[in-house]
Amino acid sequence: MTHSSTDPKTTSTTNSSIVFDHVTKLYPGQNAPALDSLDIEVKSGELVCLVGPSGGGKTTALQLVNRLVDLSSGDIRIGDRSIMDIPAIELRRTIGYAIQQSGLFPHYTVAENIAIVPNILKWDKSRTTRRTVELLELVGLTPVDSWLGRYPSQLSGGQQQRVGIARALAADPPVMLMDEPFGALDPITRMAVQDEFLEIHRAVGKTTLFVTHDIDEAIKMADRIAILKPGGKLAQYDTPAEVLTHPADEFVAEFLGAERGLKRLALTTVAEVLVAKAEPERPAESDLPKVEADVTLREALSVVSAAGAHGARVMERGSHLGDVTLHDLVDPPANAVDARNGEGVGL
Amino acid sequence: MSGIAPAGDPVIPDYGQASECVINNGPFCGDWFVDQWATVFWPPLVDHIYMVIIAVVIGFVIAFAAALIAYRKRWLAGPIGIVATFLYTLPPLALFQLLVPFTGLTLLTVEIALVCFTLVIIFQAVLAGLAAVPEDVKRSAIGMGLNQRQLMVKVELPLALPSIISGLRIATVLTVSVATIAAFVVDSGLGSPILKAVSSPFNTQFIGAGALAVLLAFVLDGLLVIVGRVLTPWMRARV
Ligand SMILES: Nc1ncnc2c1ncn2[C@@H]1O[C@H](COP(=O)(O)OP(=O)(O)OP(=O)(O)O)[C@@H](O)[C@H]1O
Ligand SMILES: [Mg+2]
Repeated sequence: MTHSSTDPKTTSTTNSSIVFDHVTKLYPGQNAPALDSLDIEVKSGELVCLVGPSGGGKTTALQLVNRLVDLSSGDIRIGDRSIMDIPAIELRRTIGYAIQQSGLFPHYTVAENIAIVPNILKWDKSRTTRRTVELLELVGLTPVDSWLGRYPSQLSGGQQQRVGIARALAADPPVMLMDEPFGALDPITRMAVQDEFLEIHRAVGKTTLFVTHDIDEAIKMADRIAILKPGGKLAQYDTPAEVLTHPADEFVAEFLGAERGLKRLALTTVAEVLVAKAEPERPAESDLPKVEADVTLREALSVVSAAGAHGARVMERGSHLGDVTLHDLVDPPANAVDARNGEGVGL
Repeated sequence: MSGIAPAGDPVIPDYGQASECVINNGPFCGDWFVDQWATVFWPPLVDHIYMVIIAVVIGFVIAFAAALIAYRKRWLAGPIGIVATFLYTLPPLALFQLLVPFTGLTLLTVEIALVCFTLVIIFQAVLAGLAAVPEDVKRSAIGMGLNQRQLMVKVELPLALPSIISGLRIATVLTVSVATIAAFVVDSGLGSPILKAVSSPFNTQFIGAGALAVLLAFVLDGLLVIVGRVLTPWMRARV
C-alpha cells in the first residue's frame, strides 16, 4: 500500500522528489532558527507528513519549498533541480498549494477558483472546463453542474476543502504542499475528507508534503512521518509503524502519546492478520462479535472489548472469512504488520 | 466674505397672476415650483450634478492612487493620511477664501475645494478595504504563482470593492451637500437658488432647491448601491 517504486503512476518519466538539504531558516530578528538543518527526502509519489508542536517550523518548512519564505542556508531540490534556479513565480505554478481554511477566493465561484492557475498559464477555455469538471468529479462534488457556479460562502467547510484540493491539483502539478488542509473540519468530516484525499493521492500519485499537528492524521495518511521538535530540529523520519514501534527518543514517545501501542494497531486490518495466520481456523462458536474485513485491529479490539468476547468473526460482504483471537489483535503476527509497510523506505 | 457673495437678485418676480400661495409666501407652492422648474431649478440641478460628479471622480482618482502608494509603502500611509485629514477638516468657506486669490471666483475654486473634502474619505476607504483582504487568501494566491499585479487586480481590489463603494457613497453624499456652498463663489448649482431665496426669503425656492439637493443625494447614493451590487455578486450569494 505504500507507493513503491514499481507503481506506474510514480515512475512517470519525471522525478519529482523533494530533497531538503541541510535546510535552515532563521527569521530576521529571531535569535533561534525556526528550522534547524532539516535533512529529508520525500521520494517521488510519496506522501510525507510533517508533524510537531506548534511553532516547530512545519509551516516554515513547507513555505520554503514554494519560496513564500526564503532559505537562510542549505538547499531544496525538486527533482534534482534547486528551487533557487527557478524564478519563484514560475516555481509556484508547478506546485499545488492547499492551506487551512482553504484560502479560496471568496469572490470567485467554484469553477473560477479551480481555473485560477490554468488561466494564468493561458490554457484554452475548453481544456480548463474539461479539467474543472474532471476535478470536481475526483473530489466527489457531483453533479458537477450544481457546484460550478457556487461561491465559497455557499459551501460547507468540508466542501470548501475539497474545492481547495481540486484547485491545487488543477494544473496537474507534480508536487503538492498542504498546510493543515483539514485543520478546521469537524472530526467526522475530517475522516471523510482524509479518506477521499488518500484515494485521490493513490490515484494521482503526486509527491506530497503534508503538514498536520494531528498525529493520528499523520499515522493514517503518511508513507513516512517527519517529526519536528521545538527549535525546528528533526526528531525522527520514518514509516508510521517504525515511529510507533521504535520512537527515536523521549520527545517522540511523548509526542505519540500514551496510546502509541493502540495507534500502532490502527495500522493493520483484520484481513491482513487473517492472511498472515495462514491456517484458517473456523471454530463453530457463533457468539463472537462480527467485524468487517477492512476494519483495523484497533477498531476490532474495541468491538471485542465492548462485547466482552475473546475474539471476533471476520466478515466480508456477508460471508465468513475466519476468526481472529484477542491474542491476534493485541499481538499481531509480525508479517501482518509488515504487509503494509512492505518496502523498507528508510533513508 | 464681502467680495464673493453674488446674492441679492430679486427673487419673487411679479408674474401678474401669482397664486394665493405665492403671494402669501406659503411653505411650498407646487404650482410655482412647476412653473419655474425649467428656469429656476433644472439648470442649477444639472450644474450641481456635474459639480459633484467631477469632484468625486477627480477625488477618487487622486485618493485611489494615493491609497495604492500608501498600501505598497506602508510608511507613507501616515503622512498621506494626515494631509488628507487636514484638508478635510478645513471649513469649506475658509478653503474658498484661501483659494479665491489664486483661482478667482471660478468653478475651478469650487472643484478644488470639493475634491479636498472627498480625498480623505476615499483614501481611507480604499486603504481599509485593501488591509482587510484575508491573509490566507493572499497567501494562497501568491502560493499559486500570481504576480504582484495579478494579486492586486484579481484579488486585492475586488475584495476591497465593498469598502471602496461605501467610501464613494459617503463622499458623494457629502459632496452633494458641500457643493451647495459653492454658490458663495459661483452662481451655479442648487446653492444658488437657495442663497438667493435666503437673502429675500421666498420659501418655495429654497425649500424646493434644498429638497432637490436631498433627493439628488439619495439618487446618487442609490446608484452607487446598485453599482456595488452588480460589481460584487459574491456578497449576496449566501445560502
Ligand atoms: N514571518 C515570521 N517572522 C518571524 N518569525 C516567524 C515568522 N513565521 C514564523 N516565525 C516563527 O518561526 C517558528 C516556526 O513557525 P511555523 O509557523 O513554521 O510553526 P508551525 O510548526 O507551522 O506551527 P503551527 O503548528 O502553530 O502552525 C515560530 O517560532 C514562529 O514564531
Ligand atoms: Mg503552521
